[in-house]
Amino acid sequence: MRLMRLMNKMKENCFRVCFAGCLVTWALVTGCNKPPENATNGSGSKSITVALMPKSKGNAYFISCRKGAEEAAKELGVKILWDGPTEPDPAKQNEIVETWITRGVDVIAVAAENRAGISTALRKARGKGIKVVTWDSDAEPDARDFLVNQATPEGIGKSLVEEAAKAMNGRGEFAIITASLTAANMNEWQKQIELTRAAKFPELKMVALRPCDDLKDKAFNEATALLNAHANLKLIMAICSPAVPGASEAVKQSGRKDVKVVGLGLPNDNRRYVKEGITPSVILWNTVDLGYLTVRACHALATGELKAGATKFSGGRLGALEIKGDNILLGQPFVFTRENIDRFDF
Amino acid sequence: MHDRSGWRRWLGIELVLTLLLCMELGIFSRTATNFWTAQNFFEVLRLSVEIGLLAVAMTPVILTGGIDLSVGSLLGLCAICFGKLWRDAGLPPLVAGIATIGLGVGLGSLNGVLVTRLRLPPLIVTLGSFSLFRGFAEAITKGVDNFTNFPASFLFLGQGYLFGVIPAQLPVFMLVALAVWLLVHRTVIGRGLRAMGYSPEGALYAGLPVSSRLMWVYGLAGGVSALSALVYVAHVGQAKADAGTGYELLAITAVVLGGTSIFGGKGSVHGTLLGLAVLVVMKNGLILSDQPGELVGIVTGVLLLTVLSGELLMKFLSRKSEVRRRERLLKTR
Amino acid sequence: MGLWLAAPDFFKARQLLSLATATSPVLVAAMGVSMVILCRQIDISIGSQFALCSVFVGLAAQRGGGPGELLALAMGVGGLMGAVNGALVAGVGLPSIVVTLATMVTWRESLRWWREGEFVRDLPETFQWFGAAQSSGQWMVIGAGVSVLGGMVWFTQFCSGGRFIYAVGSDPEAARLAGIRPRMVTFLVFVAAGAFTGLAASLNAVRFTDVDPKTGTGLEMQAIAAVVVGGVAVSGGRGRVLGVFAGVLLLACIGPGLVFLNLPPQWERAIQGGIILLAVASDGFSARTGHRNAISGGKHHA
Repeated sequence: MRLMRLMNKMKENCFRVCFAGCLVTWALVTGCNKPPENATNGSGSKSITVALMPKSKGNAYFISCRKGAEEAAKELGVKILWDGPTEPDPAKQNEIVETWITRGVDVIAVAAENRAGISTALRKARGKGIKVVTWDSDAEPDARDFLVNQATPEGIGKSLVEEAAKAMNGRGEFAIITASLTAANMNEWQKQIELTRAAKFPELKMVALRPCDDLKDKAFNEATALLNAHANLKLIMAICSPAVPGASEAVKQSGRKDVKVVGLGLPNDNRRYVKEGITPSVILWNTVDLGYLTVRACHALATGELKAGATKFSGGRLGALEIKGDNILLGQPFVFTRENIDRFDF
Repeated sequence: MHDRSGWRRWLGIELVLTLLLCMELGIFSRTATNFWTAQNFFEVLRLSVEIGLLAVAMTPVILTGGIDLSVGSLLGLCAICFGKLWRDAGLPPLVAGIATIGLGVGLGSLNGVLVTRLRLPPLIVTLGSFSLFRGFAEAITKGVDNFTNFPASFLFLGQGYLFGVIPAQLPVFMLVALAVWLLVHRTVIGRGLRAMGYSPEGALYAGLPVSSRLMWVYGLAGGVSALSALVYVAHVGQAKADAGTGYELLAITAVVLGGTSIFGGKGSVHGTLLGLAVLVVMKNGLILSDQPGELVGIVTGVLLLTVLSGELLMKFLSRKSEVRRRERLLKTR
Repeated sequence: MGLWLAAPDFFKARQLLSLATATSPVLVAAMGVSMVILCRQIDISIGSQFALCSVFVGLAAQRGGGPGELLALAMGVGGLMGAVNGALVAGVGLPSIVVTLATMVTWRESLRWWREGEFVRDLPETFQWFGAAQSSGQWMVIGAGVSVLGGMVWFTQFCSGGRFIYAVGSDPEAARLAGIRPRMVTFLVFVAAGAFTGLAASLNAVRFTDVDPKTGTGLEMQAIAAVVVGGVAVSGGRGRVLGVFAGVLLLACIGPGLVFLNLPPQWERAIQGGIILLAVASDGFSARTGHRNAISGGKHHA
């Protein structure tokens, strides 16, 4: 019995020695190692590394952005790191940014899931001499050098309500399907939608708001329940990309001709419904161009071509673009309709 | 007690994990950029504190044969309540923090009450409170409200560095880990927890206050989740209803990888810490090696299965050779 | 259930029809899970299996597979993934919650890596509703769900195979002594759960015209909650399939119910959690048996 206990103790001790050994080796090697590779202010000869982060991976919207980003990277000879959390989560975005800081990259470009949540990490990156760009959605202004602005929340809210009003002839009930109740940018859009509605279209009435967890199937179920619960519903506004085809399919299957869908979505996902007339219009910007422009801006920032206070920016195949303050503007949101949707493939 | 002797005493999950950790360190030191730096060493530790706290507190729960799926949701709810107390009730962060931890203990004990008084399986109880806590967090904030602009003195807990190198949350984590380690491995209470994990009836007949101990264990898990919420809020700089989504599974993964039996009774806090280390080093190393984030999940799943199968295999082998040794002994006698 | 009286519109035929169509796949998946839980195991990987099967179905349809082929493929893929779980649980002897936790992450992340979240688009016209019209297609999906339910009731009540599951779930050792092979039963139960998930995935996929690879996220929690609310004991060996049916219906009504009652969506999750706790608590009150509160105890300790 005593022997057994002794052995157990020995086993535990051995394990401890092992663990301590591990730590010591790490400490030793770290001690002798040269200081971390610093971010270079690319003189042109050394290739520039740009770390790009979408809000979440596995989202068709960001996949099309990535296409553009890779196109620009090939043109400019930039090395791209593309990674992000698998679910939109500010803490996980933070974690990856902080790991990138350790890794040492030249530019970090983030589509912020949450304004305040990401800014801490981005400020830290700037403190270490890494250039920071936000794209798609912004962080705190002092946490980044530039924002690649594809459309302002005001612009999105305004276009959505205008398209909705057009489809509803200016009056009636509508419902909103959002991704989740906690998504920061969607809450911002809802605020803008409400502002525009109150100011310009007071006869529109929002009757319900439902989350779909960014899932098409759930959006379908929510839209079906909305259609059945609200007999006077005239329009469903889907403000996350999987929700638009989901809601359109629900309207189609319900057989109700008096209900339309508008929303923010990719043309490829919605082509079928736009052509059938269920969805008179889908609003979005050119996401491929957004990715392309972001990498262009990152490169220019790293090489020093782009400096604070600039008013013009040459965006490669996009031509000269306007810079307003520290916002690089991609242009106005684009409205895809039955007439023009076939010209786009993303 | 495990009856192992000679070289066989080395055959434990700890050894497997230590080897695995060394292997990771070896691989990543070749493939990853800036992996072998003091900065990264502390960064890895810093980023693992929230999950680490949850995993450490989950260990005694699982040791008793239970499980707590609600810790991630509780983290979210506590983060919200902390924000609410600080911003809307105007309490100083310290007081709000203490109140939040109290709330965490209370809600954790609620799980305990349902488990002990109604004799419901912990899996089901905490599955319910998993939805309930997250639901309350969303209802309180309407999903929209976001607490930010905390005072710098509080943010230091999650963003500051002591002496310029040691992350401020690290001592907190080490203290909690040490306390739980002592509780589990060096006290009669800890031994009682294992006994309950092996057999609740047996423990009851042996005179252990099973119900009240269980209450304490779930209360502890709740309290530590609340502490983890504070670290999370200070680290990210904001409190929102979606804080900590999915953390419960990460914490359980670390605990199980660390050799704690999901049926209870067997396991250790240092095993959990090793399991955690294997997971976070892998994550950090993969990102620094420019690998996509999906790989982290895939490797985690595969590791979990291999390590546990490996442990079973080793146990099987050692039992076999043990039998052979005994036979030999008998013959010589 | 009296809650819904406040919203009479809820019971309109159209809403019930669409609700039934949407719930059928969940019901089929929950049937698989209930078998696993009856067998004293648990499977939290079915959400990921569901997604993977859906994508396979979509890809096969793109290549022009007919309805029969699609169903066979989905059930085959699902069964294969179930077999992996089953082999690790019954063959190697690992705890099922750990095994399925690992496979859940692995399948889900592999899928994300492979498809990057892109919809499977441009499916042929004959894909939706297996090429039938919408109304008959809806009834087809519902019919499939109901026949699976009926089959399960018959199987668990009147077939020796079904009784074996109960036997193994109540006490694997006693079952072994009674001449049942508990490991084989456990393995087959996991395979069946996978195949059911595949069937559910294809029933769900044909409701639409393209496949979202994120589909099925959270399905495992939905199914387990429904099974538990339906009165199946997680300690195995106790519970009825019809109870699971009731559980599925109850949980499926919460979301649409809130829409009809015009309640804010923020409360949905809290209500869901409350219902689960209430249901199991009342079960705990009424049946205060001395059952051991083990979670998914597969084997006792050596």
